[in-house]
Amino acid sequence: MTPQRSTFAERAAQQIATPSVGRAIAHAMDVRAGRTAHVFDGADLPTMRAAAAAIRDHTLASLPEYLERFAANAESRGTSVFLAADSEEATGYIRRLVRERGAGSIVKGKSMVTEEIDLNAALAADGIEVVETDLGEYIVQLAGERPAHITVPAVHRSRGEIRELFERVHGVSLPDDAEALTHFARGVLRERFLVADVGITGVNFAVAETGSLVVVENEGNVRMSASLPRVHVAVMGIERIVPSFRELAVLLPLLTGSATGQRVTGAVNVISGPRGSETDGPEELHVVIVDNGRSAILGTELAPVLRCIRCGACQNVCPVFRQVGGHAYGGVYGGPIGAVLTPLLEGIDDLPHASSLCAACTQACPVEIPLHEQLLALRRRYARERAGLGERLAFRLWGWAWSSPRRYAWTARLGRIAQLPLARHGRIRRAPFPFSRWTDARDLPPLAARSFRERWRSGGGS
Amino acid sequence: MDRDAFLGRIRARVGAVGRTDVPAALPRTMVSGDGRMTERFAAELDAVGGECRRTAASGLTEAVASVASGLTTAVVQNDLGAYREDVVTGLRDAGCRALDADREAAATADLGITSALLGVASTGSVLLSSASGPRPTGLLPPAHLVILDEDAIVPGFEELMTELGRLAREASHLVLITGPSRTSDIEMTTVRGVHGPERVIVLVVG
Repeated sequence: MTPQRSTFAERAAQQIATPSVGRAIAHAMDVRAGRTAHVFDGADLPTMRAAAAAIRDHTLASLPEYLERFAANAESRGTSVFLAADSEEATGYIRRLVRERGAGSIVKGKSMVTEEIDLNAALAADGIEVVETDLGEYIVQLAGERPAHITVPAVHRSRGEIRELFERVHGVSLPDDAEALTHFARGVLRERFLVADVGITGVNFAVAETGSLVVVENEGNVRMSASLPRVHVAVMGIERIVPSFRELAVLLPLLTGSATGQRVTGAVNVISGPRGSETDGPEELHVVIVDNGRSAILGTELAPVLRCIRCGACQNVCPVFRQVGGHAYGGVYGGPIGAVLTPLLEGIDDLPHASSLCAACTQACPVEIPLHEQLLALRRRYARERAGLGERLAFRLWGWAWSSPRRYAWTARLGRIAQLPLARHGRIRRAPFPFSRWTDARDLPPLAARSFRERWRSGGGS
Repeated sequence: MDRDAFLGRIRARVGAVGRTDVPAALPRTMVSGDGRMTERFAAELDAVGGECRRTAASGLTEAVASVASGLTTAVVQNDLGAYREDVVTGLRDAGCRALDADREAAATADLGITSALLGVASTGSVLLSSASGPRPTGLLPPAHLVILDEDAIVPGFEELMTELGRLAREASHLVLITGPSRTSDIEMTTVRGVHGPERVIVLVVG
């Protein structure tokens, strides 16, 4: 990715200044909340989540063995497995493959890791066009944007905007209707599927026991991308591994239930090799397994973030995400999971501050990642590495002042005097530096004339 | 990156991590079986916008004719076992031309007809196999008719996963289909028939 020069606060301000973005995201999150409300009925969700976390932890602790087993089993079926240390190695392998096969046309299913390694841009540098075929991804690609949500990429766009986009790009006239727009895109993309030389998809789970890839979808574009072109390339992070199909009886419904509120998605692909002796299907299957900073997280206090199954549940419940959307995070992954992962994978380090620490994300996470605690840990890391002497001194002084009841009471008295010129109509809207850092974006309620302790001591009343 | 170096880097990181076991018993989920079979299969498929029809083997011809009525062409998977003759007869009775399954035929046909390896009662899903015939048959036409043996319905996901461990070794691409192709990508409005079939009809024969 190109380095981000702006800060989270600047990007967030930009998103908030576009009210249609907030409205579209809030609407989508409300619909999603309704759909997910009852999906786990009949199951003991806390037990499912505990089991899923245990499965993920077990797999991560034995990751080298499972990766080896996966690779050996996949290769025994004729699949090519490539291990890529970083984005350059991953895109380099795929660029070489595309060049050697003389591929001119590529279709792609939804995949966050290919966003992370910026695959489309790498192929575009070779003059190769990659067509995103997931409807939401197709929309953001036409708009020249990145996905704004893990499972609903065009979540920030209204159907009116999508109609205008399609009309402008394709020179047609379309009705303002989700069904008509979807069917129009079906027609356009069907042509691309039938002529594509290479299909690229992501991976939800890689099953070590058989070397199989499990990819969930609703639209049918993954089935197309993995069935029609001569070459199928699947890209995955090292942590997508599961030991065997047995564990998927829990992980799969947990993923689909948390992601889209579905007991199971419209299609679950189980891809175990190239066509072999079958009459059709891809002649070649390449699996690219990407590390790209993940292994450095293993063995640290943040390792549980690698349990993530990319469901987006934490984004759906996050009050910050609801206001600013995925683009404000500046990286590939937005919301709480992005605020943890992006600093680790892409080095954008102010994101842990994009949180009210309300812990709704931790409660929503189906694999029990303690997201809000991880955000705190990253803030501590940020403070250690980035805070200046003045800031450190100020916080140390604050800590010293408020660790004694007497000093605390004294600061309150001081504050009541200091706020006199600032409070207007029961609000502090502006304050001098460094307090302006707070009041630039938020109001501050003024301190009450008498503290609770003072009122208590004087026998109640105001 | 060299495989040993790649794995070595990960090994160095996980070296200090305590090994834990996968839980010996996994909890039941909302897609576990509950004893009800065909009746639940039909109800669950209906709930996701699919259609379930039931027939005795003797009524297969008629059932296929009813699905194909009004359609011009259908691609038929070769490997329909003992049912193929009845399926082709049903299509003929409906005035629907039966085409051999290949990509070109599937790209223009009104209906694709395939078998399924198994059905899942708890979700109304069917499992298609690339080893049973060309993949486009159940993918490219706007409607997909699946012929499913009632005996092949399993209660829930636990049984499905046991089967997948075996079946994944026998086919390059298995796909579990649950209802029609659909999306909610535009303003969360559900629309059927995005890239795959808009209609999925499962004919349970038993």
